[in-house]
Amino acid sequence: MQGKNMPMATGKKIIWLTGVFLALLIVLGPVYMLVKYSVSDLSSINTGGEPIPLWPYHPTLRMYEFLFTDSQFYRVFMNSVIVSLFTVLLSLLLGVPAAYILGRYQIPGRKLLLLAIISVRMFPDIASVIPIVEFFIKLGLHQTYTGVVLAHTLLALPYVIFIGIGAFESIPHELEQQAWVMGAGKFQTFFKILFPLAIPGLAAAAIYTFLLSWDEFIFSYFLMFGRQEIFTLTLYLNGIKYAEPQNLLAAISVCLSVPVIVFSMMVQRYMVAGISTGSVK
Amino acid sequence: MADVVINSFSKKFGSNIVIDRLNLQINNGEFITLLGPSGCGKTTLLRMIAGLESIDGGELFIGGKYYNNLPAQKRHLAMVFQSYALFPHMSVRNNILFGLKIKNVNKAKMQYKLTWVLNLLYLKGLEDRLPREISGGQRQRVALARALVLDPDVLLLDEPLSNLDAALRETAIEELKRIHHQVGKTIIYVTHNQVEALTMSERIALINKGKVEQYDRPKAMYDDPKTLFVAEFIGSPPMNFLEGEIQIQEGFGGVNTSIGFLKLDKDRAAKLEAMSGRKVIAGIRPQNIYFSEHVIRRRHTDTSLDLIVEFVENMGDRSLVIGRTRNSIVMRFMVTRDENITSDQKMPVFIDGRCIHLFDTMSRLNIFNNDGSI
Repeated sequence: MQGKNMPMATGKKIIWLTGVFLALLIVLGPVYMLVKYSVSDLSSINTGGEPIPLWPYHPTLRMYEFLFTDSQFYRVFMNSVIVSLFTVLLSLLLGVPAAYILGRYQIPGRKLLLLAIISVRMFPDIASVIPIVEFFIKLGLHQTYTGVVLAHTLLALPYVIFIGIGAFESIPHELEQQAWVMGAGKFQTFFKILFPLAIPGLAAAAIYTFLLSWDEFIFSYFLMFGRQEIFTLTLYLNGIKYAEPQNLLAAISVCLSVPVIVFSMMVQRYMVAGISTGSVK
Repeated sequence: MADVVINSFSKKFGSNIVIDRLNLQINNGEFITLLGPSGCGKTTLLRMIAGLESIDGGELFIGGKYYNNLPAQKRHLAMVFQSYALFPHMSVRNNILFGLKIKNVNKAKMQYKLTWVLNLLYLKGLEDRLPREISGGQRQRVALARALVLDPDVLLLDEPLSNLDAALRETAIEELKRIHHQVGKTIIYVTHNQVEALTMSERIALINKGKVEQYDRPKAMYDDPKTLFVAEFIGSPPMNFLEGEIQIQEGFGGVNTSIGFLKLDKDRAAKLEAMSGRKVIAGIRPQNIYFSEHVIRRRHTDTSLDLIVEFVENMGDRSLVIGRTRNSIVMRFMVTRDENITSDQKMPVFIDGRCIHLFDTMSRLNIFNNDGSI
C-alpha cells in the first residue's frame, strides 16, 4: 500500500484523469444513449436529416407511463423477476452443499465429478436445448414456471458450484478444526464458520445466476413457446423487436436493466473483500 | 485429574512413518514442551492428542480415560494453533464465547468467564473489535483466552509465539508462565525454539524422526544430553564435536582427538579404563572453553590449548570466537564482551574436563548414560 497517499505530479494526474474519463465514456456512452432515447419525444428522434440532439428538445416520461399501464408488459416483467429469483434460490440450495463437499473433502472420484459438472456447459445451448426440452415435455414440465426455473438452474449450477468451491476452498482448514476442538459438530461448523465466510463468493455466484436467468433466451423460448402468459422479458422483446418507436424500445431496455442493478446492489454488500483477514497470523 | 499417557503411538502418512512407537507421560498440571526440528512429528503428535489426526497405533489416556476413539469435539481439550485461527467474522467477544455457546452454557456464567479471561489476558476494551482490527500480540492473547474459557483438561499449544516479534515473544513467554501458574492446567506446548522450551517448561521431550530422544527437565537436557542429537540440538551456539578414541595417558582417563588428548574429570575418568580403545565423539560447549588469561584457578583435569583467532562474532552481551588449532581444526568458544580480541591473535584456552560429553560413534548414545531409558 506504499505510495497510496503520495501526491501525484500534475502532468501525471492529467494523463490519468484523461484515461479514466475515456474509459467512463466507453462504458457509460451506450447507457446515456439508452436513457436519452427513452425520454425523447418523436421530434428529437425523427429530425428529418438534422443531427440528433445531445438531449431531447422536449424530454418526456410518456413511454414509461405507457409501459407501466400496459398489463402485458407488467406481467412479463414480473414473470422474469419470479423466474430469476427462484433460479437463484434453487441454484444456491443445490449448489452450496455440492460446493461445500467438493471444496472441503477429498472424496473419491472428485475429479470425475467436477468434470461431469462442467461438462453441462461444454455443449452449446443450441445443441443441448432439443434433448432437454424433449425430456421436459415427457415430464410435463414444458410451458410451466417450474420447467423454466429448472432449466435455468441447470445452466447456472456449474457456475455456482465452481465459484462456491473456490469460496469454500479458500477458508483455512484450521478455522474448521479449531471449531471442532471447541466442541462444534459438522453442522454447527458449517453454519457458524464456513457458510458465513463463503458468503462473499456465494454472493458473486448469486448475481451471476440472476443475470444468467434474466438474460436467458434459448431455453426459455423452447420451453415457453405457445403459452404467452408465462413469457419472460427476453421472449417479449423477441416479439416486439421490430416495433416502433425507438423511444419505447429504449424505455423497455432501461426497465430491463433496473432489476439487475437493484439485485446486484443488494447482494454486493456481502461481497466484502478480505473477510478472512486477521484470522490466521 | 488430567494426566496424559501416550503408549506406543504410531502414525504413518502413506509409507512415511511420522510417529514411531512413541511413549510419553505427562503429569496433571505439568507444563511440557514437545521440541524438535521441523518435520520431526511434534505437531502431528499434538494433533493426534487433539483428535485431529487418527491414531494408527498405540493408546491415548487422559485422566485415566481411553481417548483413542473419541472425536475431537468430545475430548474436552483446547488448542491454540500456530496461526491462531481466530474466526475472522466474529468479534473478540464472540470468538472467546464460541465454545461456551456451543456447550449451551448459561448467560450469567458466560459473562463471568468472559470478564475473568479478559482480565487475565489484559484484553479489556477489545471485546467488540474484529480480529483484523487488533495487533498480532492481541490476537495471540485472544486465541489463548478462547482456549482458557473452556476450562479444558489439557491445553495444547502449537507454536503460538512463532508469529510474534522478539520483544513481544519475551513478554508472551512470561505471560504464559504466569497463566500456567494461575490456572494450573496441564499444558503441552509445541515449538522448534529451544529458548522457549528451556525457559518455560517443566519438562522437555525432544523429538527426532518420530521418537523421543530425551524427556527431561530443561537443565538436565542441557547438562546431560543422553544422545548426540540432543547435544547437537540443545544449546546455542552449537557444541564443538571431535571424533576420537578413549585412552588412558599418564594416569589420566580421556579421549584422544585431532586437537590432542582431552582429560576428563576424575569421577568419570575412572569409568573409562574399561572402555579403552572405544571410538567416541566428544562434544564441548563453546561456553565450557575458557580464555586462560582470565581464569586463574585450574584443575589438573583441564586441558590447555592454543588457538589462532579467525574472527569474532559479537552477540551483544558476549562474543563468540571462532578459532583454529595448529592443525586447522575449528573450535568455537565464548568470551565476555569486554575482551579485546583481533583476528590472527594467539589465544591460550583451556577445556573444562567436567564438561566434555562423550557419545558412542556407532550408537550415538552418551557413553556414561546409555541405559536406554528416556
